[in-house]
Amino acid sequence: MSVVLKAVNLVKVYTDSGVPVHAVRGVDLEIEAGEFVAIMGPSGSGKSTLIHMLGGLDARTSGEIWLDGRRVDTLSESGWALLRRRKVGFVFQNFNLVANMTVADNVELPALLAGASPREARERREDLLARLNLTERADAPPGQLSGGEQQRVALARALANRPSLLLADEPTGNLDSRNTRDVLRLLGEVHRDGQTIVMVTHDARVAALADRVVSLLDGEIVDDGRIPRRRPATGTAGEVIDLR
Amino acid sequence: MSTVRAGSRWIRADLRARRGQALLTVLAVAGIVAALLTAATLLEEGTNPWRGLFAQTNGAHVWAHTRDQPELGRLLALDGVARAAGPYRSAPVTVVQEGRKDPAALRAVPATPPEVSRPVIVEGQWLSTAQPDGVVVERSFARSLGLRPGEPLAMNTLSGARRVLYVRGIADTADQGFYPEWTPGLVWVLPVTLDQVEPSLGRSEWVTGLRLKDEDATQVVAQRVVVTLDEQLQRVHTWREVRAAMELDNRLLGTLLALFGVVGLVAAALALANAAGGRVLGQLRDLATLKSLGFTRRQVALLLIVEHGALGLLGIGLGTVGGLGVTMAVFGSTSLAPLPVVAIAGGTALVVLAAVGLPAWRGGRTPPIPAAPAAPPRGHLSRLARLALLVRLPPALVLGTRDAFTRRLPAFLTVFGLAVPMMMITIGLGVWATLDNFLKNPAQVGQTASLIVKKGKLTPAEAELFVSRDPDVRHAYPGSTVNALAPGEARSVRVRAIGTSTERYPFPVAEGRMYTRPGEAVAGQGLLDLLGVRIGDRVRLTVGGSPLIVRIVGRAVEPDLDGEVLSLGLDSLAAKDSVPPGFYALHLREGADPDEVRARLLAASGEGLEVQRVVNPAERLTILRVVIVALIAVLALIGLANLLTASALGLRDHASDLAVLKAMGLTPRQVTATLVTATGLLVVLGVFLGTALGALFVRGLIDLQGHASGVGAGIGRAPQPVTLGLAVLAAVGAALAVALIPARRAARVPVTAR
Ligand SMILES: Nc1ncnc2c1ncn2[C@@H]1O[C@H](COP(=O)(O)OP(=O)(O)OP(=O)(O)O)[C@@H](O)[C@H]1O
Ligand SMILES: [Mg+2]
Repeated sequence: MSVVLKAVNLVKVYTDSGVPVHAVRGVDLEIEAGEFVAIMGPSGSGKSTLIHMLGGLDARTSGEIWLDGRRVDTLSESGWALLRRRKVGFVFQNFNLVANMTVADNVELPALLAGASPREARERREDLLARLNLTERADAPPGQLSGGEQQRVALARALANRPSLLLADEPTGNLDSRNTRDVLRLLGEVHRDGQTIVMVTHDARVAALADRVVSLLDGEIVDDGRIPRRRPATGTAGEVIDLR
Repeated sequence: MSTVRAGSRWIRADLRARRGQALLTVLAVAGIVAALLTAATLLEEGTNPWRGLFAQTNGAHVWAHTRDQPELGRLLALDGVARAAGPYRSAPVTVVQEGRKDPAALRAVPATPPEVSRPVIVEGQWLSTAQPDGVVVERSFARSLGLRPGEPLAMNTLSGARRVLYVRGIADTADQGFYPEWTPGLVWVLPVTLDQVEPSLGRSEWVTGLRLKDEDATQVVAQRVVVTLDEQLQRVHTWREVRAAMELDNRLLGTLLALFGVVGLVAAALALANAAGGRVLGQLRDLATLKSLGFTRRQVALLLIVEHGALGLLGIGLGTVGGLGVTMAVFGSTSLAPLPVVAIAGGTALVVLAAVGLPAWRGGRTPPIPAAPAAPPRGHLSRLARLALLVRLPPALVLGTRDAFTRRLPAFLTVFGLAVPMMMITIGLGVWATLDNFLKNPAQVGQTASLIVKKGKLTPAEAELFVSRDPDVRHAYPGSTVNALAPGEARSVRVRAIGTSTERYPFPVAEGRMYTRPGEAVAGQGLLDLLGVRIGDRVRLTVGGSPLIVRIVGRAVEPDLDGEVLSLGLDSLAAKDSVPPGFYALHLREGADPDEVRARLLAASGEGLEVQRVVNPAERLTILRVVIVALIAVLALIGLANLLTASALGLRDHASDLAVLKAMGLTPRQVTATLVTATGLLVVLGVFLGTALGALFVRGLIDLQGHASGVGAGIGRAPQPVTLGLAVLAAVGAALAVALIPARRAARVPVTAR
């Protein structure tokens, strides 16, 4: 399996408030293609900081980041921006959609940005929205959608360019259980199609969907464990008990 | 290409979401550009109507007056001459009208209007062989005489014969300057008519106009005309003299317009920067999202520049079309050269781009992590708010006061953005007050006398008798004006002697003192500047060959002749210039109507006296009032744009807080009050600041301008306190009303809606 993302001794120190805050202290991480990694940890442990650095939204203090075999931590801000267009999709807990644009425009935007023709962008958007059962809401402003619907649109948008890496920071943090289930089902689907996903969450049930759970504490990885894939179709109750 | 597509999507969506604000921005910019263009045209038309007239009449560049009929062929053969008008025979007459005598020239022209220098009929009709006693009068001459088509025109020829012809039409021409600055007045007649009125060729001259291929060759061609016509030639004038004669002393107008225009532009730039900046602040979250999608810093900045710049450019386009349209509608054709239009449009475009550049650059620097910077800053209770708490104001006011200053920069921009238009409005009102003051107190601009009487046919003693017998004449000052040559200056200045050094005419002395004995004089600012002398200096002038040596003891406010006037008592002049006096300046009793007195004097003297009304400089500047009103409208628009930005920004900042406020138990009315207080406080601050600054500057500015135009300092007036109070009230009232609408709407939005 090829390594999609690699972080070497990644450090982030916030200094803007006067007192230096060591948010991430030397994280080493390798993520392989097709992997679904959940990052867990208590509040303030540096999860968001880490994932922001991995997507180039925030500059690292020291350490290396490699994406698809290329070193990217030395990229400039606009270098990162160009990279994100085709290789990294991002989903936040909040603030995911451009408020003034319709749902359709929001989803088409990254495709257009990556160089797709308006027609291609429209077709891809129609396909994605159809898979999310959001076709009728295409012309609505995001403000009229429920939280879960908005998050699904955001996910569609992040996936519009078939990125090598999907980064999600608590994508279900604000959602109720039904909406959470919708979003997670979608994540599961794209993962099954081979999408590499790194997701921050503090919800163990959400993390259970992942192949691997990385636990952060005070900016350091304290645990990195693969959990076996659940195979509800083939596995029996006995096997599950045996595993325990 | 890809980013263009993505970017245009975003811009379109954003503009759609804030149509009203975008429209207002466009309108404000359009208003400014239209106002600038109209002002430039007005200025051009008002101060220099020559260009338009010359183009309309297909004017001639060089005019030659000769004793006999010149050989046209020789003139046409001159290098650079394209075509000719005339030669026309012209005879001098004196037009006699209601006791006035005005010199005029009857010019014989064919019944078919000439190709070159074709008079443009503005009223009535052109000459016709069907009416041989019909004449066409040049417009400024007709206005001066109060003539309308159909009215009789009585005249005395040089031989003393009296003839009456009838006005058939009134026409514009660029052949000569306006009457009475340019004499004699021009009257066109048919050749047959001229032959009857003045059959003697010896008492007439010939006038020929030459249209050149290139106006730059004027000087050269004029020289050649002089050489060619030699002995025959009486005088030559060119379009330059005509243009100079048509130019009004309107530097005051020009400078004020320029001032208004430039400050208006600054205000508009501020409004744009404010609008764009406010928009960017409100959009930080969206901009961050764009960045997380892969927009680079430069692309975001470019996006913002394109969006806001496009609004500005659209406004410039609309304004240019509108401004040209207005001038077309008013003046028929636009006389504005393309250069000023391009300069105004281009300059505004630069200002617009600079104004949106900064917020755009700032927007480009938005960090791509949306959460942190998107939250509005929670300021500490500002000092003002703490004060409000101390004096136990209602909670809504306290909250509003706190909000007003949470964002320092936008608060500053709002205050400033309102203060600048308000300052200009105050200055405009000050100019208005100054004009009013001119009209109300003509004595302050040297116009104590409202009638000037010349003895006409009467003897000086008779004239004096008639004048002194009129019950409304308080005092009649004998006076004379002579031209004096200044040493080292190749031009003459006006010396105006009225009254004597004991019985002094009340010249408005602004500096120094009034003259008290012969040999002392007061001068206008223009004269002081021209001669480079100061109060207390002695000057030596030459009047008709004899020296005139006076000491300048004071400076008078002098609205005439760019202030290049020396005023003194008649006894300072040599007897040959002062006896008999050339005129009497009549100081009328308070409340007397000059027109009535004039009619009475004319009747009493059996039309023997010549009586003229003195023209107040404010009457010449009426155009200024139109401009002031138009500019106040545009400035108000700019203020409004700023205000809407401020309240939109306030709402955006508080969208989330509103729910919290309501949850805390504030009633919708209290929420409204909070929002209105937040903007209202800034509005009141801006309006008061602007008014104060304007009131502070206005007198100094007008005086400065007065100094530059030769009138001299001491004419500036601040607007009346009542006027200012009303202006402030209107501004604050309108502002609060505007702020109230979105605030009320926001207060009604249910808590749950996001
Ligand atoms: N811009 C910043 N400036 C200074 N310190 C910061 C900044 N952002 C985060 N921190 C600090 O860095 C540490 C890690 O923050 P981070 O947001 O990564 O935590 P988190 O694990 O995502 O927490 P949560 O689960 O609550 O989202 C915290 O102590 C936080 O206070
Ligand atoms: Mg976090």
